[in-house]
Amino acid sequence: MSDGTRTSRSSDEGRDPTRTDGGTATGGGAGADLSGGSFLGDFWVNFVRWNRKAVRNPFVVVGSLVQPIIFLVLFTQVFGQVATGAINRGGAAAGISYETFLLPAIAMQVSLAAAAGSGIGLVNDMEEGMFEKVLVTPMSRTAVFLGKTAAELLRIVVQMVLILGLGVVLGAEVATGFLGAVGIVCMGILFSLWYVAFTNIVAVLTRDQESTIIGANLLQFPLLFVSTAFLPLEVLPGWIQTVARFNPVTYGVDGARALMLGEDVMTVLDVTQFTGIWNTLVPAVVILLALDLLLGGIAVYMLNRASSSDVQ
Amino acid sequence: MRDSSPRTNGSGDPADGSGAAIEAQGVELTYADGTEAVKGIDLTVPEGEFFGFLGPNGAGKTTTIKTFATLLAPTGGSITVNGYDVRTEARRVRETIGYMAQETSVDQELTARENIRFAARAYGVPKSDRADRIEELLDLVDLADVADKEAGEFSGGMKKRLDAATALVHRPPLVFLDEPTTGLDPKARNRLWEYFERINERGTTLFLTTQYLEEADQLCDRISVILDGEIVETGSPMELKRRVGGEILDVEVDGGANERDRAAEIARTEDVFDADADVTVTDEGVSVTAERARAHGTDLLVALRDAGITVTGFNIRAPTLDDVFLAITGEELEETPADIGGDATAADPEVTVE
Repeated sequence: MSDGTRTSRSSDEGRDPTRTDGGTATGGGAGADLSGGSFLGDFWVNFVRWNRKAVRNPFVVVGSLVQPIIFLVLFTQVFGQVATGAINRGGAAAGISYETFLLPAIAMQVSLAAAAGSGIGLVNDMEEGMFEKVLVTPMSRTAVFLGKTAAELLRIVVQMVLILGLGVVLGAEVATGFLGAVGIVCMGILFSLWYVAFTNIVAVLTRDQESTIIGANLLQFPLLFVSTAFLPLEVLPGWIQTVARFNPVTYGVDGARALMLGEDVMTVLDVTQFTGIWNTLVPAVVILLALDLLLGGIAVYMLNRASSSDVQ
Repeated sequence: MRDSSPRTNGSGDPADGSGAAIEAQGVELTYADGTEAVKGIDLTVPEGEFFGFLGPNGAGKTTTIKTFATLLAPTGGSITVNGYDVRTEARRVRETIGYMAQETSVDQELTARENIRFAARAYGVPKSDRADRIEELLDLVDLADVADKEAGEFSGGMKKRLDAATALVHRPPLVFLDEPTTGLDPKARNRLWEYFERINERGTTLFLTTQYLEEADQLCDRISVILDGEIVETGSPMELKRRVGGEILDVEVDGGANERDRAAEIARTEDVFDADADVTVTDEGVSVTAERARAHGTDLLVALRDAGITVTGFNIRAPTLDDVFLAITGEELEETPADIGGDATAADPEVTVE
């Protein structure tokens, strides 16, 4: 096979995200071969690997769904009567069932639980030696991490779709219809990214499986409870109301709930410049995006450091 | 011909004919906490050689190998691997080396075949070659019949062999093996050895680190003894052994420490060996290192019998790397109880009497 596209050895490797050695031609041309050589190929290889691992490991797929499903079923059954009263007292979301109120929160819980798997996957790779093994290959490190993260986001999407479907079966209603449901999934991705970044930071810092699992999983429940996830802000005690304002979960849940109910449900911030649900969606998206960028930036920095050859 | 990428053709010779797989000068590595792990290593490994780094735990073997494999940037000196500089051409280096870490590194949730396929894609093996290459490697490491089982179910030896296969998938001209047989039982170890010899015969340069003397002796063309981050001795196993000087006569005697001391005294004072002979008391008797120990051995045995000491056994042998290490460093290499496929000290028995 003549590989005529290979450029001179002296070409600057750092500048080009794709290989300078003509790796894109390894598939025999036409760019149809996504495997190996190019940035996209490297991305794809890692995307496939992490998806395969997720499917192989029933705990990852089912495990992170079990808890939210239990919450959804038990909360609606046990607290349904009481909670409906509280919701109606809350005003904003009056006249809806607790199923409908709770489902967006459960969807965010799913995305949180799935995001926890990201850091746990990384620390497993470190302990199995796969992290170092990947570093010694010529693959683009950016493509490696993007491929892994994309597989995790795909899992989050699949799980959110499953839980939304289950919620609808149980009697919840998405007031904004199919587009709103897609919006909820998008909100879930936006909401999960900061937690993906956070668990990766914990993984790099501790390099210890147990610490990462504990750090990534234990934080979820307090975060959910001290937010607007399970009850409206008005009926929560004063100190929780204060904490909820600074809790990212509140913004994810409120954003998803606005799409679910088709109305402005945000009570932690008083935004009125927009109309209807946009008074909730805009601040929620802005705040989550800022948080994603901040924690994402830190995670990228930490991952860079962890995969660099400079002595630490 | 250099018309194809080393990343994909794997035929070796990516360098401009320098003939050296590794060229290292004054390599230093000091960790941020001030630990000097490597203190100025000079090394040239020619293409095709089976080279060994021999030293105890903490001598700097792994740190050095990681600087060669681009995992750690040296804090001093220069390293060229396959003609490429590890700092400025790291990606080129990665394309042309295989690396097997000290800890077994396989994805436990993937099957053997999927592990090798992942490596094949990571190293950009062209699609047309991939399937054949994977089958060939599965055969080579004898995992063909468990190819579709998840690696998590494998024994330690099988995982190691799988790990080794993934390091070879792009047919790198140079492969680093960092203590590849640590923790394996003798059978698994022998199988890996065979396998390493096979790929070396195919022309692949191998760089091995080990703390097992017998491993270095058995496999390596040339060895450097590394201690405290410095190379203290380099040569072929034969050359190193010759440096110990002479032959070694081990004599076992009946009775306690007294009898052994008496035997040592006789070996020193009776005019049997040359003056520079080295006599030490061992657990079983005495050990004499001297020129022509073979020729004079019987004289010592006669002298011992005359002194009323019962000789229960003796053995005259060429020095092993154990003796080399002792002679160079003044300390013995610690070895695990489940040591290698045999007793290193009895490796070369020439005369044995019961």
